[in-house]
Amino acid sequence: MSAVDVPPEDTDDLLAAELVLGVLDSTQRRDLQARADSDRAFAERVSYWEGRFAPWLNDIQPVEPPARVWSRIGQRLGWQDADQASASLRGSLAFWRTAAALSALVAVVAIGALFQRPAQQVPVVSQPAGQAVTTLRHDDGTAGWLVSVDSARGSVLVVPVPAPANSQGRVPELWVIPAGQAPRSLGLVSGDRPWTVTVPANLRATLVSGSVLAVTLEVAAGAPHAAPAGPIVAKGSIQAL
Amino acid sequence: MEGNSAFHDAVLRMLESLLSQVALGNREAFEALYRETAARLFGICLRVLAERSEAEDALQDVFTTVWRKASQFDATRSGATSWLAMIARSKAIDRLRSLPARKNRADLELAEDIEDPGASPPQQAQAATDRAQLESCLEQLEPRRRALIRAAFFEGSTYEELATRLQAPLGSVKSWIRRSLLQLRECLGP
Repeated sequence: MSAVDVPPEDTDDLLAAELVLGVLDSTQRRDLQARADSDRAFAERVSYWEGRFAPWLNDIQPVEPPARVWSRIGQRLGWQDADQASASLRGSLAFWRTAAALSALVAVVAIGALFQRPAQQVPVVSQPAGQAVTTLRHDDGTAGWLVSVDSARGSVLVVPVPAPANSQGRVPELWVIPAGQAPRSLGLVSGDRPWTVTVPANLRATLVSGSVLAVTLEVAAGAPHAAPAGPIVAKGSIQAL
Repeated sequence: MEGNSAFHDAVLRMLESLLSQVALGNREAFEALYRETAARLFGICLRVLAERSEAEDALQDVFTTVWRKASQFDATRSGATSWLAMIARSKAIDRLRSLPARKNRADLELAEDIEDPGASPPQQAQAATDRAQLESCLEQLEPRRRALIRAAFFEGSTYEELATRLQAPLGSVKSWIRRSLLQLRECLGP
């Protein structure tokens, strides 16, 4: 006997399972992938099996890909400028293009990142690749920004949660407040785009459990400021993980 | 652990937020998503494609697909990490299929469970729950079939390749795997 007798309603489920398991040949895969793009019920069967087998993929060790992969992705998407800059730098330039006054800050931070290696591996929280994630919340408890701290690379990714903006021309500035100490500026971030902050080497040791990350609204001129002038609009503790 | 669970939730929400911005054509979000996930997805590609240059090409396929299909991501149906991981696996297998027939892989011996050498303790609470459910349902399969499902998944082998390596009739291999999948479906629930 070469086939399994299954009720017709289970046939699609089985096909989806075979697709996800990876036992089908290229023609069958193409046909079923095309079907999943147009047939919502079938796509849901595929999602079901993907979700069930996904735990096995969590076991696989991450491997840092070479930088050329990112440039090639940019080329394939027709992005002319992707070739010249790394992901993080190009992102910075794109974001700050309209804020020429602040380009000196970007240059200083980028140069700092080139010369300053982390003085030590800062034990943030025992997470993969020295990472910690926290949410900066408004007083009413709603999320304002999601923050990912990478202590090994000395970078902080700040992702805004979409919300109506009413900043009256002021811009969000990120602060780290080490326990019992005054706020230290990590520079301006964005209220509507993901933004990576390269943390100066002398502040990397502050990215530890117990420190608070906070966002205030400030005038753009003169950033990073020595001290916050505006009120804290969102904050979160690295310890609160 | 609660800390890990909170970490996992925060990562998921961050990736969801990035994906929703990628869906709107936000390149900065796309770059941030790449920085956050490329290493993990490259690991998955390398697992299927031993040849490094092929895995790099697959990773390019993954991210061009993510750029085009981010709007199809539905957080109510799947977690962002699973969605991305499965795109990586799928693109890697597509590329594997496009390569000339592989050199004969070793014969499969299914007498015992094949332990995954890359296995490490699950890092997140939800993942641990999902993992436990998958493993407990697999436990209910006959050991040889359990090993067959595992080998098929991790190596991306077709029915034909599995039959050759097992030196078993194609029809039997299909039948074993399909019965195992139906049995898993029964156990895993809706």
